[in-house]
Amino acid sequence: MNVSLNWLSNHLDLSGKSISEISDLFTFAGVEVEGIITKGIASDKIVVAQIMEAVQHPDADKLKVTRVDAGEGTLRQIVCGAKNYKVGDKVPCCLPGTELPAGFTIGETKMRGVESKGMLAAAEEIGLPKGEDGLLILPADSPIGAPVKTLFDSDTLLELEVTPNRPDLLSHRGMARELATLLKTPLISEALPEANTSESSPDFIKLEAAEACPFYSATRIDGVKVGESPDWLKERLTSIGLRPINNLVDITNFVLHETGQPLHAFDAAKVTLPLVIRHATDGEPFTALDESVHTLTAEDLLISDSSGATLALAGIMGGLESGVTESTSSILLEAAYFAPSGIRRSSRRTALSSDSSYRYERGSDPQAVLSAAALAISLLESRSANGCITQTAGTLPLPPSPVSLDLNRLHHLLGDSISTESAEEILTRLGLAKHPDGKWAIPSFRQDLTRHIDLAEEITRVHGLANVPSRLRATFVPTSETDAAYDADMILRQRLAALGLHECQTIKLIAESQLADIYPLRPMQDGDLIRVKSPLSEDHAIMRPSIIPGLAASAERNARQQAKSIRIFEMGRVFRNAGGGKARDQESESLAILVSGNTNPSSWAAKDRAADLYDAKAVLSALLPNQEITLKPKDREGFVLAAEIKAGEQTIGVFARLAPSRERELDLGSPTFVAELDLAKLRKLTAGPAHAADLPQFPGSSRDAAMELPIDTPNATIEAALAKAKEPLLVAYECFDLFSDPTGVKIAADRKSIAYRFHYRASERTLVLKEIDEAHKRILELLKTIKGLVFR
Amino acid sequence: MNEQIASIQTAALELIAAASDERSLDGARIAVLGKKGTLSLAGALIKDIPNEEKAAFGQSLNSARTAITEALEGKQKTLQAIADNAALAGIDLTLPARALHTGSLHPLTLIRDEAIQILRRMGFALADGPEIEDEYHCFDALNTPADHPARNEKDTFYFDSGKLLRTHTSSVQIRTMESSAPPIRIIAPGSAYRRDEIDATHLSVFNQLEGLFVDTDVTLPDLKGTLEYFLREMFGTSTEVRFRPHFFPFTEPSFEIDVKLQVKGQAPRWIEVAGCGMVDPAVFGSINATRKDKALDPEKVTGFAFGMGLDRLAMIRWGIKDIRLLIENDIRFLAQFA
Repeated sequence: MNVSLNWLSNHLDLSGKSISEISDLFTFAGVEVEGIITKGIASDKIVVAQIMEAVQHPDADKLKVTRVDAGEGTLRQIVCGAKNYKVGDKVPCCLPGTELPAGFTIGETKMRGVESKGMLAAAEEIGLPKGEDGLLILPADSPIGAPVKTLFDSDTLLELEVTPNRPDLLSHRGMARELATLLKTPLISEALPEANTSESSPDFIKLEAAEACPFYSATRIDGVKVGESPDWLKERLTSIGLRPINNLVDITNFVLHETGQPLHAFDAAKVTLPLVIRHATDGEPFTALDESVHTLTAEDLLISDSSGATLALAGIMGGLESGVTESTSSILLEAAYFAPSGIRRSSRRTALSSDSSYRYERGSDPQAVLSAAALAISLLESRSANGCITQTAGTLPLPPSPVSLDLNRLHHLLGDSISTESAEEILTRLGLAKHPDGKWAIPSFRQDLTRHIDLAEEITRVHGLANVPSRLRATFVPTSETDAAYDADMILRQRLAALGLHECQTIKLIAESQLADIYPLRPMQDGDLIRVKSPLSEDHAIMRPSIIPGLAASAERNARQQAKSIRIFEMGRVFRNAGGGKARDQESESLAILVSGNTNPSSWAAKDRAADLYDAKAVLSALLPNQEITLKPKDREGFVLAAEIKAGEQTIGVFARLAPSRERELDLGSPTFVAELDLAKLRKLTAGPAHAADLPQFPGSSRDAAMELPIDTPNATIEAALAKAKEPLLVAYECFDLFSDPTGVKIAADRKSIAYRFHYRASERTLVLKEIDEAHKRILELLKTIKGLVFR
Repeated sequence: MNEQIASIQTAALELIAAASDERSLDGARIAVLGKKGTLSLAGALIKDIPNEEKAAFGQSLNSARTAITEALEGKQKTLQAIADNAALAGIDLTLPARALHTGSLHPLTLIRDEAIQILRRMGFALADGPEIEDEYHCFDALNTPADHPARNEKDTFYFDSGKLLRTHTSSVQIRTMESSAPPIRIIAPGSAYRRDEIDATHLSVFNQLEGLFVDTDVTLPDLKGTLEYFLREMFGTSTEVRFRPHFFPFTEPSFEIDVKLQVKGQAPRWIEVAGCGMVDPAVFGSINATRKDKALDPEKVTGFAFGMGLDRLAMIRWGIKDIRLLIENDIRFLAQFA
């Protein structure tokens, strides 16, 4: 809400308060100051000067050379083109160095060869509203040499954010009331006029929806002349950023911002009495003032008439047809109390809102309804406005029930930092009154105060948390499952960072076009995707069932920034339904990894090499160094080299290379490997060993075996054979050489050479040579059963 | 004979001196001390020497052997030293290192972990809840009924099922209180969602950290002390902290918290970092209704809750001007946090 300090000063003496003091005052009332705009003359160098002489410029017909007294002891020569002054007038003189609102600075110059030391100014040139053409003629008694800014009210516009619980602050009177409370100063507002009321007959107002509209009033005012508003009214509206339109519209706007009570004026000629306040029928059309067209429901409240016409969507916006125009001569002025929840629902459903609905839906002050109408009527200056009767229907809501203040709880809450007297004094200042029974009567504008805690909040707010002591204490809390999960996640994150991967954070809402990259742990079927109902854009429409699309998009962005090595990961939630939507909204946590491009940063010491499958697999193995990590091929559409990731026998995730065609689409010039792992399983695997193994007490011995195999025999065949051996003396083995030659020169192109080293040891004694040889022979015998294997 | 040994020794020492590397030195050793070396062959003559001369012959033989061995060892050391020096030649301390990948944690992870570490030291345990939430836990139970002005559908992502993406982590307060009894002292970091267009200061998915302390004697001094302590741990022990009255449906009284911080090159100013307040008794009422007990009797327990935007804290901490940097994952940005 915009507040003008000048306007506010009509209600409250703010003299002597700096803008920053006033701003702090709002801040600690719980009203956020979002902007401060100062209007009017800003510069001190614009002074009152009297024109002592004005002669024709020797070389320019339209210019005069003036000599002015700016209170400097000597006269100042200024060339001027205006015609509206006479010698002896006092005018604003911008001394050299003045910065004008238009952005330039006045200097000493020559105009057509004649020296000019400054500028005589028109109103709009120095930041005042545009006046008559030519110089601004100042009052004859203006002191020569005084800054012109002291002669004019400047104003400050404050942009304030009022929280939804405080509709009483949505007006200048309301804001002044609050500041007066905080400043402990009296209000100096003029009292609002009293309305001349009588109960309406059903021929004038027919109130058919008393629940949604407990109270409705309308005043017929004849002989209205629609035209421009008086200057003071235009100034008030422009001071808070509103555009004056005509006297009728301006008055209702003024009253709204003055009292917080919305008013609405209908053109009486367009209404067939009585006014009917009723709910819409389902499907009833409504064209609003802003020409938007709506289909209403039985929940919406209408102002209608006996012809059935829709005059207004109650409390929200007038209809296109019923409003006042230039030719309006009689009006029906509405002032009403609408139930907040109904206005809120209609406003939300129709997406129509206005300054009126903003106040009604937060709760207007029932006691302000009739006085606001009376204020508007008094401002109308119509011949018949005096003495016109405001006709009412329904009853105003009762004042809020009195509320008890529990002093024990209050003192406990505030750490005994306030006396009962001070606390009660705060409530009194806020307009509450203590009943003899100890309960507090609530003013009509504070419908938000209904419980002890509401009163305690008011006291705390005014008392200020700065005046409450601080206390430090804690309780012991056990480690939660979430704590354990968090700690494991941090370990995994740190390991991945140590392995040279960068942690990413991507948006959990993905686009339809990114579905090509999803790779959930379990494949999905129709109905398993979770889509938001009203996405902001197609780019963020689907809850991610997998983190890989996010990482793929990040890789794409980095590739376009010429990143040569992309090693990234992300941890977080993924979302899906299961069983084609049978089990809904399942959330789990994943770790996704993407490796693409150079396996090491470029350096003089090594040639650039693009990461391959084995580099990607190395990340997985190093992430869980105590686990045997294997990849078990399992095709997945859209990917190549797809596999399940196993830790021992347990499947913990999925792995693949993006399809080469997809890599090209994403501008990824190297093979791009992705993995998505189930964090719940991973966390359990990060735990250290259950117990530390003893070091071997006796020496072991190793034997090598060089073999030749068909090139397409997977290494797993060898490992399977070794596992089958169950050789008790074999404690470890490793593949230490692998060689093939596509040219067929060194080895047949369809064959590969592979070498293994086998380690033999017994835990309780030193093996003799013969035992080792025999064990190794048993191993070789088993390997020999592999199809196509020969020893070299 | 002694002359003969003397001349063998002289020749041997010359040979050793002439050796230019370990190989030629080894050749010299074999030529003199090897089985058929000159000194070995001379030694074999002892059997032909008269007995009375044997002692003298043996002596001169031994002294020759000692002299030659010493010369060999000395030369060996000299050659080793030369080789060691040669091995260092061409090594340039000023050449850049071989390159290793250095990864990094996301700034959001870093700031979240920092906050969690501080709060854990203060006795808060972690808690969690779903991000796809129902209206009850996101709004109703938090004292925000369907037509409350704080509840705005155009700011919330809904699903056809009627569920929604939680608009704040405050729903975890409800989840936790439903399943545990006071004393409850938890923090819940997590994502929240709002239908905001993404720009330099807004993300539709952002990160919050929620806190809740419910016990029989929780007061405003506890709230103030806890959050002042936390923010001073976070931003420095002399950081000024202020509490501005504010409104949240689920706390009363409510405050927003500002800290006075100096952004580089600017005057210190108040920067909003968190919201907080005393748990509204109506929230306890909703939870008791769900629990069907009075574990959170508003007459007996009180509590405070707080929440802060982690993305915002990260932006403040590192002077990040555009929030989108936090989700764009440009490695040039991320690598700064290595």
